Amino acid sequence: MMHDAALTVLFYVLGAGAILCALAVVNARRLLRAALALMFVLLASAGLYLLLGAEFLAGIQVLVYVGGIVILIVFAVMLTSAADLLEDHPSPGRMLAGAVASISFLVFAGGVFARLELAAPAPGARPPADASAIGRRLLDFGSEGYVLPFELLSLLLLAAVIGGIAVARKTPPRDQPFTSGGDAPGEVDIVLPRSQRDEPEEPRA
Amino acid sequence: MPDLPLALQFAWLIPALPFAAFIAVGLGVSPLSKRAAGLVATLAVAAAALCAWLVAWEYYGLYPPDAAHPAIVVWSFEWLPYDAGLSASAGVLLDPIAVLLLVVVTTVSALIHVYSIGYMGGDPGYGRFFTYMNLFTFSMLGLVVAPNIIQMYVCWELVGLSSFLLIGFYYSKPEAVAAAKKAFIVTRFADLGFLIGILLLGFHGHASFAELAPAIAPEAAAQGVANLQAFDFHYLTHPEVLARLQAASVPFLGLSLLTLAMVLVFMGAAGKSAMFPLHIWLPDAMEGPTPVSALIHAATMVVAGVYLVARLMPAFAASGDALAVVMGVGVFTSLFAAVIAVTQDDIKRILAFSTLSQIGYMMLALGVCSPAHPLGYTAGMFHLATHAFFKALLFLCAGAVIHAVHSNNIWDMGGLARKMPITHAAFLAATLAIAGVWPFAGFFSKDEILLAAFSSGHTAVFAAALLVAGLTAFYMFRLYFVTFWGGHRGPHAAHAREAPAVMWVPLAALAAVSAVAGFVPIGSFVSWGEAHEVPHCIDLRIAIPATAIALLGFALAWRLYARDGAGAARAAAALGILYRTIKRKFYVDEAYLAVTKGFIFPYIARPIAWFDRHAVDGGVDLAGWITRTTGRLCRRLQTGQVQTYGVWFVGGILFVLLLLWAALA
Amino acid sequence: MLEFLAAHKPGHVEWLLLSATLFAIGLYGVLTRRNAVGILISVELMLNSAALNFVVFNRFVAPAACDGQITAIFVIAVAAAEVVVGMAIFVALFRHRGTIDVNRMNTMKD
Repeated sequence: MMHDAALTVLFYVLGAGAILCALAVVNARRLLRAALALMFVLLASAGLYLLLGAEFLAGIQVLVYVGGIVILIVFAVMLTSAADLLEDHPSPGRMLAGAVASISFLVFAGGVFARLELAAPAPGARPPADASAIGRRLLDFGSEGYVLPFELLSLLLLAAVIGGIAVARKTPPRDQPFTSGGDAPGEVDIVLPRSQRDEPEEPRA
Repeated sequence: MPDLPLALQFAWLIPALPFAAFIAVGLGVSPLSKRAAGLVATLAVAAAALCAWLVAWEYYGLYPPDAAHPAIVVWSFEWLPYDAGLSASAGVLLDPIAVLLLVVVTTVSALIHVYSIGYMGGDPGYGRFFTYMNLFTFSMLGLVVAPNIIQMYVCWELVGLSSFLLIGFYYSKPEAVAAAKKAFIVTRFADLGFLIGILLLGFHGHASFAELAPAIAPEAAAQGVANLQAFDFHYLTHPEVLARLQAASVPFLGLSLLTLAMVLVFMGAAGKSAMFPLHIWLPDAMEGPTPVSALIHAATMVVAGVYLVARLMPAFAASGDALAVVMGVGVFTSLFAAVIAVTQDDIKRILAFSTLSQIGYMMLALGVCSPAHPLGYTAGMFHLATHAFFKALLFLCAGAVIHAVHSNNIWDMGGLARKMPITHAAFLAATLAIAGVWPFAGFFSKDEILLAAFSSGHTAVFAAALLVAGLTAFYMFRLYFVTFWGGHRGPHAAHAREAPAVMWVPLAALAAVSAVAGFVPIGSFVSWGEAHEVPHCIDLRIAIPATAIALLGFALAWRLYARDGAGAARAAAALGILYRTIKRKFYVDEAYLAVTKGFIFPYIARPIAWFDRHAVDGGVDLAGWITRTTGRLCRRLQTGQVQTYGVWFVGGILFVLLLLWAALA
Repeated sequence: MLEFLAAHKPGHVEWLLLSATLFAIGLYGVLTRRNAVGILISVELMLNSAALNFVVFNRFVAPAACDGQITAIFVIAVAAAEVVVGMAIFVALFRHRGTIDVNRMNTMKD
């Protein structure tokens, strides 16, 4: 009983905190504060995962999300020199439209959830508490295993890293056609730069 | 029709040849070589003429002269199937008047084509000219051989179109354009009557078709009409049908249906044949090239109205009132136009009014016709044929003269007899023919008309016709003397030269025909009703007064015009206002203008134009405005901002989810 | 007090409502934020709520399995990839145009 009571209290505390911080995320005029609020939302989510018995996931959440993604966002905010910039409030119409859309969604979802009847879980079924169960499933070659998505995910991350580097690299000068790179345009360009294009072609023998 | 001679089976070639040449010259030959265009067109029409003569030979071989001459359909196909049991066919109908017209039209047309090669030489529109001429020849021949009133109407409009195109041939000349429009509008207006007449005949004919057709069909089938239809002439001119139509009456005016329909049909005929009061287009139509005036506005197209009346003669005769209208209009127009012709100065206009007068003569002849006295039918068609030759000849001579003198005004001419001997001789022959001097063709045909009027008891008509004969002799010799005699008046008259051979050979041929055509025993070939005794010898009761009055006209012209115009000027001055009125053509054109400008334009045309501009165009503009405004409003939705689209996207998803939920729950 | 609290242990409806609320707030942010980075942050919020949803269903539908948690891991990984690419694009965009205000990014209109 003690456990259940603590769970209730923690759920509402963490849930309220997450919602408040989320409101701060979308309403803060300073992006840095929004990023900070996001971090608190993610931390609260990690706590909620713990309440749900997903300890491994909670760890991942803190490590990847809070430790990686939020830091990346903070860097991006710095790089786009928006850290000290006060963002303008959106137009009232836009705010109204967004509020109507999101509240309608919430009402709709609430309506669905209220009618949702889940089959009672089998009594005594306990979640696999240890991370090793998840790890085995992830690397399982069998029909229920996730090894293929897992490997694809690694490819995706690799592609994202390379793509991120390629995109964020210094852009080429304006008078040159857009290329994927900028340092050695001649090698990867589809369209030749003007200086080379204007040269008359030499007749082949 | 079993076992027709080959020439009759291939009678469809007569209209088909000019049509093929029209397509070929218009699309293929004319852009390649102008010279070849003229040659191809002329050869096609000449071949058609040859076929026409062969057809005539075979037709009278099949039905010898002095026997009955049935109307046979030698070739036809179903053309417009409107409905089960209601269709119009196109085909070739041959009867004496069709054969006569085929021969006349193709022969005159061929000669005029030859003449045109010389006359139109060097004209930039040479190829176009021959294209139109072939189109006209095809349409006219299609009209002549029409076995039903639908084909006749279609070809009727086609000749109207080609006439319009050829009057406006010099389309850079404003007068020519105006004349073309005038001709088209006036004849279109008349054709409206024709069309209503056709619809009346067709509707009521078709109403009793099921009842009457079984009795008529075998008879018609024996004459080659495989599938009798309500529009066929065989049906429309059958006595039983006519009796049925005559018995029916229209709810207003108390007229019989047949009379009303025939008067409306005659309205179309009067428009095409330029009968008073629809004659106003013909004098202006002289703006076209002279060969066109000769072919279309003298010899062939303008007699289409006469041909139509002759074709529907049984119907006109069954409704005596309609025939009386034909006669009245004919008499009045012949007199009216002859009087005007006396005062005109333009050589082509004199001839145009002469044409009006002569066509009125033919109408008169048809008008005095009746089952008891069918001579008028023969006489009218005879005069049609002879007139086609000598009037075409007159126009071609006028063309040669105009070519030499560069003027249409007869007072710019004079003394051309020595400069242009062949033209002069041909013109003299034609003048003698139209004046009715023995032994030229006009003498015989005119005498026959006079005899028809006299013997059928229309004495007043006879007197009027005699007066017209005198007037005709007078104005034609006036024209002849002023043009060919006396001294040179115009600047070019002194240097006039004879036309080239390609132009004078057709003149000579036509002159020869005009001289001898009168000796054809026409009564044996063309007759209506039961075989009728036509006098083959000259009736002296008619010939003597007719010749006397022609000589009187000649003498008067000689007296006034042979030396100089002084006597004529004095006479004109003595007549004063009467002369001026006649010279202005009785102010008919002015009256038309007053009606159109004073009434039709301000009170009918302008409100309609206003309605069109504001209501109809406004409706179109409104549609455009709605589209544009809708676009402008919708454009606001397209902000180009992804977030706006996102709002709509979410809204759409929610909407669809709600729908799904409502449907599933 | 304890009984009351224990008796009101959050069921699946409460959990799901929590995640839906977070999602709706994220949606509001996506639709209203003027800065591209702000939009990206809001997207992260939505992704997080989705991951939470998976875990909640895992817990309440099939407690013995861990598929929901694995999916949540995937979501986190995909979110990481997305942020990497997104941030790179914003940095490039900022260099190119000097702003990342989405209200000025309406070249689709022309």
